Amino acid sequence: MAMQSVPVRLEMVSKTFRDPKTKAEVHAVRDADFEIRPGELVTLLGPSGCGKTTTLRMIGGFELPTKGKILIGGNDVTYLPPNGRQTATVFQSYGLFPHLNVRDNVAYGLKIRKLPAQEIDQRVMRALGLVGLSELASRSPGRLSGGQQQRVALARSLVVEPQVLLLDEPLSNLDALLREQMRVEIRRIQKSLGITAIYVTHDRIEAMSLSDRVIVMKNGYIKQIGSPSEIYERPNSVFVAGFVGKVAFFPVDFEAQDEKGFCLCVLSGKKVKAGHKAEGAIPGSKAVIMARPESLRLLPSGEGIAEGIVSTKVYLGSSMEVFVTTSYGEILVQVDDPAEKRIADEGEKVGIGFNEALVRVLPQD
Amino acid sequence: MLFVMACLIFLAADLWMFSTVRNSFDKTMVQNIKTLAVAIAHSAPEDPGDIEGWVSGLADTYKGYSFYYMLGLPWEDGFREAGGDEELKKYWSEKQDAPDMLEALDSVSYLESYILKDKPRIGGLARNVVLAPVPNEAGDTAVGFVIIASDASRTSSFARLLNALMLIAFAIFSLGFGVATFSRDPITGYAILVLFAIVVAFVAFPLFEAVRLTLMREGKFSLSVWKAILGNTQYLKALWGSVQLGMHTATFSTFIGFVFAFAVARTSMKGKKIVTALATMPVISPPFSLTLSIILLFGNNGLITKRLLNLQNFTIYGLGGLTAVQTISMFPIAFLTLQGVLHAIDSTLEDASMDLNASRWQTFARVTLPLALPGIFSSWLLVFTNSLADFANPLLLSGSYRVLSVESYIEVTGMNRLANGAALSILLLLPTLTAFFVQRSWVSKKSFVVVTGKPSTRLSDLANPATRRIIEGFVVLTSIFIVALYGTIVAGCFVKNWGFDYTFTLANFSEALTRGKAALLSTITLAGIATPIAGILAMVAAVLVVRKNFPGKRILEGLIMTPFAIPGTLVGISYILAFNKPPLLLVGTGAILVINYVIRELPVGLEGGVATLRQIDPSIEEAAADLGADQATIFRTVILPLIRPAFISSMSYTFVRSMTAVSAIIFLISARWYHITIQIYNFSENIRFGLASVLSTTLIFIVLLVFGLMRILIRQSEHLEKTVSTR
Ligand SMILES: Nc1ncnc2c1ncn2[C@@H]1O[C@H](COP(=O)(O)OP(=O)(O)OP(=O)(O)O)[C@@H](O)[C@H]1O
Ligand SMILES: [Mg+2]
Repeated sequence: MAMQSVPVRLEMVSKTFRDPKTKAEVHAVRDADFEIRPGELVTLLGPSGCGKTTTLRMIGGFELPTKGKILIGGNDVTYLPPNGRQTATVFQSYGLFPHLNVRDNVAYGLKIRKLPAQEIDQRVMRALGLVGLSELASRSPGRLSGGQQQRVALARSLVVEPQVLLLDEPLSNLDALLREQMRVEIRRIQKSLGITAIYVTHDRIEAMSLSDRVIVMKNGYIKQIGSPSEIYERPNSVFVAGFVGKVAFFPVDFEAQDEKGFCLCVLSGKKVKAGHKAEGAIPGSKAVIMARPESLRLLPSGEGIAEGIVSTKVYLGSSMEVFVTTSYGEILVQVDDPAEKRIADEGEKVGIGFNEALVRVLPQD
Repeated sequence: MLFVMACLIFLAADLWMFSTVRNSFDKTMVQNIKTLAVAIAHSAPEDPGDIEGWVSGLADTYKGYSFYYMLGLPWEDGFREAGGDEELKKYWSEKQDAPDMLEALDSVSYLESYILKDKPRIGGLARNVVLAPVPNEAGDTAVGFVIIASDASRTSSFARLLNALMLIAFAIFSLGFGVATFSRDPITGYAILVLFAIVVAFVAFPLFEAVRLTLMREGKFSLSVWKAILGNTQYLKALWGSVQLGMHTATFSTFIGFVFAFAVARTSMKGKKIVTALATMPVISPPFSLTLSIILLFGNNGLITKRLLNLQNFTIYGLGGLTAVQTISMFPIAFLTLQGVLHAIDSTLEDASMDLNASRWQTFARVTLPLALPGIFSSWLLVFTNSLADFANPLLLSGSYRVLSVESYIEVTGMNRLANGAALSILLLLPTLTAFFVQRSWVSKKSFVVVTGKPSTRLSDLANPATRRIIEGFVVLTSIFIVALYGTIVAGCFVKNWGFDYTFTLANFSEALTRGKAALLSTITLAGIATPIAGILAMVAAVLVVRKNFPGKRILEGLIMTPFAIPGTLVGISYILAFNKPPLLLVGTGAILVINYVIRELPVGLEGGVATLRQIDPSIEEAAADLGADQATIFRTVILPLIRPAFISSMSYTFVRSMTAVSAIIFLISARWYHITIQIYNFSENIRFGLASVLSTTLIFIVLLVFGLMRILIRQSEHLEKTVSTR
């Protein structure tokens, strides 16, 4: 089942719905413009209602863009119906045919393509083998567990050898453990087939652990596109920083950048430095410094950039999460190797410092 | 761009084709006139004295033509006008120096007929005018000529028809081609077009014709029909009669229905299944059957009234008998509605009330009844509208009591006053529409039932033992009465002459089945044709309504649902009005019956399909599209199997309701395409109760058979329903 990888390109794609009751316009997707490279797995990440599903459905042909163009493998497919494009979707609710058994579900697309019966049989068994369901071929989908149903849906999509695989929160109906297993499974299959895949999720861990690149969306806008480490370490907005991981924000006046590239800022009258900055942050304006828990450390009271009182400690084995109530809100500090250190007790006053090389200046929202 | 080009090319081809047809038609027509002219000219008499008699004789022989004869040619000596049609004479005197006429005279002098280029209006009609020479004996010179004028309006109406056809062909082409090129989903586009065409032609158009007829008098707008109807006490009496009957029936039906529903939903009575099955029998039983058995029991020569009690002044015909029959046939509607209502009321509420030390009676009066009240009211309205639309029962049983549905039937078939009939059946729509809007605006707002959510399956016995026994007694007696009614029909089959001679016989069977065979066969055939058509159309319409968005969707849905609300008599009358003339000359064919069945049963099928489809996760169909299936394939391989229960039940309802139809089809049947129910009616009217019983029993059997079959088929696909929705 080796497949030929193709790129997917969206050119200024917008989708506006009209609310059937109030007749108000809903801008589900606005000016989405990006390219997904051949063989890449890209996730669409964002809070509920930000337009992820709509974007995916436009690529699959289930919705018509209000504006813009969609290209798959260089061909304009904007107006092609779903059955006219080489995409295959794994639906959130799976969409298995309840009146067909597992084998016939997987064979459906091949029968539509009128392949010879023998080839259909072979390919179905191979696809079922790929997802580890060979034994259950004659079950009806109603009598499968959630994870098994999910794998049938995956096999059914893969067996037609689509150019692009679309997955809409395929794991949201599964329990945590199964979710992790299936995540690995999907990634393995996608890589081994070299298929271009677009994966929708609102779970940042899923997005981080699965994808080559992540597209973060909010209110229909694309906020940032980048590799998982890029959007975690170098977000360019407060929203992305907050959405992809735990983070503390300090409002500052961004004054200038020195010759080494450090950003000179003022935080409540104190001078502080930050290792890098987002593009939108301009010297001479108000800005925000973001610090991840692992770039923060606890100090004795009176030292560092902020003061606070320890409110909760959560022991996680290799590390400990310490929540400190400060005038900037509750800040999470990650302390590694907790066994080797004395850590302030709950209720104790502490200071907070950060690793200047790791923190980042972001423009104000 | 491509679209515009293709349309232009088609338009050019279209124009060329039709103008060719028109030209060749014109040519043959001119040829015909010329041939006629030659023949006439040759028959001219020698003797100038006979000329006048000959000309007037011609006008009698050739109707539609007029003639004017002249001796010699205008520039010759001795030229004179011999006479003929006065209007042609006038025309000749006006036009004799016109260039076209001079040319014509020229031709005539060379012994050639000539057809004038323009088509003058003579005597108010467009005419083709020919000048034909009358040759001398030797045949070398013209001794005179005839002006022949023939009616050109027929040919010009043919030309107009050709033009219309040409436009229609172009419209169909561009519409179809447009759908195919501009839509991502041409099959859906075609389905929408076809459904629209069907409902416009067979719902909107006939109703429009019916309304139009009541508003026209000799081609002009006039309210005279309505003035006549509303000023006539007879008709107003019939309106009041319908309303009165409706109120009686609705009240009794709702009461009995409520008692039954209460017994089933709120007591621990035994044999609930049997009671439910029995109570639903009258809904599906053929028309006339209950009326027939009431007449057998309580009629003038009835078993009970005459034989057992020997009553003299009692008559079942009239309001009382009608109320009784309608109540028995319609209380199941109330029962089914109210059973649903009571089931939807969470019985924890009643438990809570009794827990707070309310007695059972107090609980019933203060909790159950108020909660059920909107449901009770809407079931009353439902029965009321059904009673108004009822035609079969009053037809046999109204006696001197007048109701609108029968009155409009008599106007149409007895008096041949179609406009009055149409107006009366439209009048019938008034109370129905009122009830509908009351239901919409008031009852649905008052409804609390939906709020309480999940129905509770646990049963609380809301009647104390004494009350329960009374309720049970009532239910059992009513059930026995229903069984007895059906028993009477069966008994009627075996009796020689009901009312007079109760000896056992089997003769009824052979006679009824021989005389009813043709009707039975034609009914089964036509219902059988209508069934799959209605089933498929209903499911296609359901898919469009639930899954697709397109302009005019609400209108389409509304038009499909319309026949559900309008009384059958109105449908029947509007069909004879709309389809007794071209372009859709259907009256007298079997097609009109099939169309009628399909149109009238589409609403029920659509509702069922919509309800089922709403339960199905749309991503199942999207998955199929994604895997390469087009709309038609999705419909065939995914949707139909999934909505199979709705599909099957919609088909069986169509079949049964078509087999048992009366009100609309009584206007539409013909000697060739008769209907079994009308045959039953005829037998009953002629007091051949034995024969009517046999046919009724046969019909009941067929109905039961079809429903049994439906049950089995649906049960086979029951396992699906549980897994259809994964969401
Ligand atoms: N068919 C529709 N008609 C009207 N509005 C719609 C329709 N489909 C989506 N929307 C609106 O468009 C916006 C984006 O919806 P979308 O389903 O793409 O969100 P999402 O990011 O997938 O959210 P979730 O994570 O909850 O699935 C929402 O505000 C939604 O209400
Ligand atoms: Mg979504």
